[in-house]
Amino acid sequence: MKKYLNKNYALLGKTPPKDERFTKVARALFFNPIGHYILFGVLCYVVAYLATNKIIPDLIPYSLQSSLAISFSFAIASIGFCLLMGYSGLASLGTGGFIGIGSYSVHYVMYQAELPLPVAIVAALLVAALIGVVVGFISLRIEGIYLVILTLGLSEILRNVYMVVEDKIKVKNFELFGTLIKKQHSLYIVATLLVVVMIITHNIINSPTGRAMLAMKNSTAAAQAMGISLIKYRLLAFVICTMYAALSGVMIMITIRSIQASNASGYYALITSLNILAAVIIGGFKSIWGAVFGSFVMYGMQTAILQDIPFFAENPEFITFISGALVIIVVMFFPGGLAQLILELKAKVKVWYKKIKEGIYGKDLG
Amino acid sequence: MAYFLSTLFGSIIPMCVTALVTMAITLIFKTSFTTNFAQGVISAFGAYVVSSVMTSNGLSIWLALPAGMLVSMLIAIVIDVGIFRRGRYVNALGKQIITMGLISIVVGATPLVFGIVNPGFTPFVKGLISFDLADGNVSFPKNSLVCMAMTIVVIGAIFVLLRYSKWGLSVRATASNEYVAGMMGINTHVVTAVSWGLAGAIGALAATINASSGNTVNIYFMTNYQVFAFLAGILGGFSTFHGPVIAALMIPLANNLVQYAVNVMGRPDLTGWSMVFVYGIALVIIFFKPQGIFGKKIAKKV
Amino acid sequence: MARILAKKNSLTQKNIIKLRKHLDFYREELASLEGKYDEKLDKKLNEFLIKGNRKIAKLAFEACNKEQYAEAEFEAKLQKYDVRSYMKQRKLNHGIAKKIFKKASKGEPFGYLLVSRDKKMRALDKKRAKYIERLEKQKARFLEKNSLTFVVPYNRKKAALENEYFALKAKLEAEYTAKLYKEKSKIQDKIIKNEKKLSKAKHKIKATHTLPDDVLLEVKGLKMYFGGLKAVDDLSFNVKKGEIFGLIGPNGAGKTTVFNCITRFYNATGGDMYFENKYGEVVDLRSFKVHDIILQGIGRTFQNIELVKEVSVMENLLVASTRSYKTGFWGHVFATPSLKKEDKMLRAKAMRILRFMGLESYAGWYAMGLPYGILKKVEIARALMADAKLIIMDEPAAGLNDSETAELTETIRKIRDEFGVTILLVEHDMGLVMNVCDTVCAISFGQMLGIGTTEEIQKNEAVQEAYLGVSEEE
Repeated sequence: MKKYLNKNYALLGKTPPKDERFTKVARALFFNPIGHYILFGVLCYVVAYLATNKIIPDLIPYSLQSSLAISFSFAIASIGFCLLMGYSGLASLGTGGFIGIGSYSVHYVMYQAELPLPVAIVAALLVAALIGVVVGFISLRIEGIYLVILTLGLSEILRNVYMVVEDKIKVKNFELFGTLIKKQHSLYIVATLLVVVMIITHNIINSPTGRAMLAMKNSTAAAQAMGISLIKYRLLAFVICTMYAALSGVMIMITIRSIQASNASGYYALITSLNILAAVIIGGFKSIWGAVFGSFVMYGMQTAILQDIPFFAENPEFITFISGALVIIVVMFFPGGLAQLILELKAKVKVWYKKIKEGIYGKDLG
Repeated sequence: MAYFLSTLFGSIIPMCVTALVTMAITLIFKTSFTTNFAQGVISAFGAYVVSSVMTSNGLSIWLALPAGMLVSMLIAIVIDVGIFRRGRYVNALGKQIITMGLISIVVGATPLVFGIVNPGFTPFVKGLISFDLADGNVSFPKNSLVCMAMTIVVIGAIFVLLRYSKWGLSVRATASNEYVAGMMGINTHVVTAVSWGLAGAIGALAATINASSGNTVNIYFMTNYQVFAFLAGILGGFSTFHGPVIAALMIPLANNLVQYAVNVMGRPDLTGWSMVFVYGIALVIIFFKPQGIFGKKIAKKV
Repeated sequence: MARILAKKNSLTQKNIIKLRKHLDFYREELASLEGKYDEKLDKKLNEFLIKGNRKIAKLAFEACNKEQYAEAEFEAKLQKYDVRSYMKQRKLNHGIAKKIFKKASKGEPFGYLLVSRDKKMRALDKKRAKYIERLEKQKARFLEKNSLTFVVPYNRKKAALENEYFALKAKLEAEYTAKLYKEKSKIQDKIIKNEKKLSKAKHKIKATHTLPDDVLLEVKGLKMYFGGLKAVDDLSFNVKKGEIFGLIGPNGAGKTTVFNCITRFYNATGGDMYFENKYGEVVDLRSFKVHDIILQGIGRTFQNIELVKEVSVMENLLVASTRSYKTGFWGHVFATPSLKKEDKMLRAKAMRILRFMGLESYAGWYAMGLPYGILKKVEIARALMADAKLIIMDEPAAGLNDSETAELTETIRKIRDEFGVTILLVEHDMGLVMNVCDTVCAISFGQMLGIGTTEEIQKNEAVQEAYLGVSEEE
């Protein structure tokens, strides 16, 4: 068909336009960033299906779904952080505390009140938005490292509140749209929400809002002169970031099922905020895919890949050691993160390809 | 009255630890312009060294302490010289993230070096001081007083050094403007490295004090104090040295006093909220005085 | 009471801003409608052609090949024949030349030999003509045989397609014209409706101040104190419409402070600033927030270029039109079609401005690596993008070399003439100021030294003392 069409174009004396070479659906899926996100979601579904039913246990082990679910849950928070740091130029170390909002709303709404998951999500988002507004107002007065420490303090307040209110939270199996969701089915929900978040974030960063945020990051004075209201966009950035973090907390809760707040290396402590920051840095702090990949490196790689290597299985501490070293190496030598590394590699591959072609066909090929 | 005094004496150890960690973090913040998130784990690593020297060689804690401080100091200097100066594109944010990476490295390395079981610890001095007052008995470990004395000596010495020594002058010059200080002939590299080393040593001392009162070591056991220290840093104002230290003394004291007040009022179920209350007050103060209680306001030019 | 009134006023003001945003959008949409259906028509017709051609393409392909084949065969056969006949001719000529040579050497007559040669040659020619005739017949027969199956249906179908094409074109054109008219009238209705609303809203806010006809900006008794420091003290000047107004003064004279007061970065301690905004109303600048100033039509450029370095030049221009988007945040989240429409319109507008500035080829470039002179121009383009009526330039020539400065001078004049904007600039480069400015105002320590044309300022003694006198002493 394609050949025939091209022949027709040749007869008409025209070259075929790039986007007419494939069908509409294929074009939407393969040549459109949003299509890539959807394909990614489909891939996650396939992996979840294969892993939970143990169809090819050698290639896709049963444990893969849980490690993917955990890392993708954190990826939601990472994407929010990406928007906050890479696009709005604001920094925060409150992610750990904000994640707790989601987990606790799951505990109270789904475990205590036995209401469905969407209610928990809505509750989490509403509380998170409220806290985001508070942090946004703070960010108008306090900037830079001071803001970072202030959000850290806020996160500690939240953690202390969690510890006092209910130290150990949990959630049972629940029903969603008539199907029972067990622990091993969480990847389906996580992947769906991750794709939604990715698409929404993609839309935001390519819209006037995203441009306004970038302008604000570059120079507040110039942004204001261009009609960009600092208060609006700072609030917006923080609200989105906290909402994503809360959503991530919801996902973590339905993946892990039981969390203790007073754990110093737990999910609401400083270490989580630092890990999310590290994930965004590793991935490249302006890239959505980078944030997802960075979260996988920080949270999923250990259980998904490294544990199968005998050396790491015997010495699990080495994994922590290596992830720390990786963060330092990325910061020291690839400030743009893996996203930048991939771009550079692409350019290099192109150069090599050209050189090989020249070697075969001679230099003046055009 | 007896209960109040017990509260006060019970606050000594947290106050000492927070003050020391804050001093370390402030030193690094002033010379390297970054917040050292790895301070807690590096300090804890020092305490691990102290503990292992004690248990394996049978030395007393007084002889083991310098070993721990030395190791922490060396780690801190290596971080500054080996990592911070090597990175080609490292900026302020990058430095912070490097310190975060260091957390993972130290946390991963500790069990590899010292094994998985958390080692035990002995106090500097054993025994209790106990006396009776009209309304009850007051008792606290002797160890607290020793730790307090050590803290006062160390922090006092650092303040004297900062105020009167040539190194102190260099630190203050570097803190106000690293570039100009370099142009004025101050070897900022040495100043930074010495500050890091000092911070590492002080951190190890703080961790040892903390461990000696709790009789145990844990790699995360300094994290809370580190968070206190950051908060104290901006509460007191990073622009001075004394501000953060004073704020660092206030935070644990306030926490214990709030608990005391709650108990006196007959609502012991509310003690858990004391930290929330203290943090809340601190954040409100910071919100209205972003430069800190003791900080100087720096005019911003548009 | 006054506060309530002020609040009501600000509400109306917000409403007015919204109405204007809509009006601007509709006007722009109306303008963009002009070429909208041309493209669609072209696309549809092309599609039709492709579809039709797809049907007859095979026929066309084969028909055209048969003709070529016949022609080629004809040529090839003829060539073969010619080669053979050439050999014959050569043999003939050769033989006769030999005989003539023999006869001539014996002294015998040889004229008859030439005659016989001509005869033979003519016979050969006749033979060739006959052969060509035969070939032609062969070719005709071949084509006739094949054209029955290929050429005739091809021609017929082609003609039918052409007819169909013209019919479709006429039909589509009629349809689109009707549609366009309908859409246009719809938008015009909206415009009229909005204008009515706007005029109603405007009636609520009464103009408090009037400006002389030719004055765009009036600064009256402007004071700006920082604690005890009087950065600007009782400064008054008028900027006329369409002029290039220069503000000069030694370092620390308070020039940038004046700018920052006008653009509301600083809240002036005292004084009034009135401005005739881009809708022709006189407004008090002190009643606006810093980020609302641009909506009144004041754009500015910065001393150290403040562009967004990590996006393209085009997107930098779009940053300036953030406030002119009609779609709200939820539209951005879901990337609604109306957002895409607006985006397209604004991109076209940005392209027009870039083309005017001669920056067309840089539209897709990242702002990061471009030379300084170009970035300065991009900043001016960005101010134009917001439909600024007054552009405030903070030291436009800082960091430029001589040729770049000359180019900038040209650009400033050009935008003044083409876009009708007024320009207010602060500059240290006296060459540029004296070259380009119509009116110059000299200040020192926040106070006016003199105002007038460039010649007047050059002659002004106070200015010479405060400003130029320093350099003479040195």
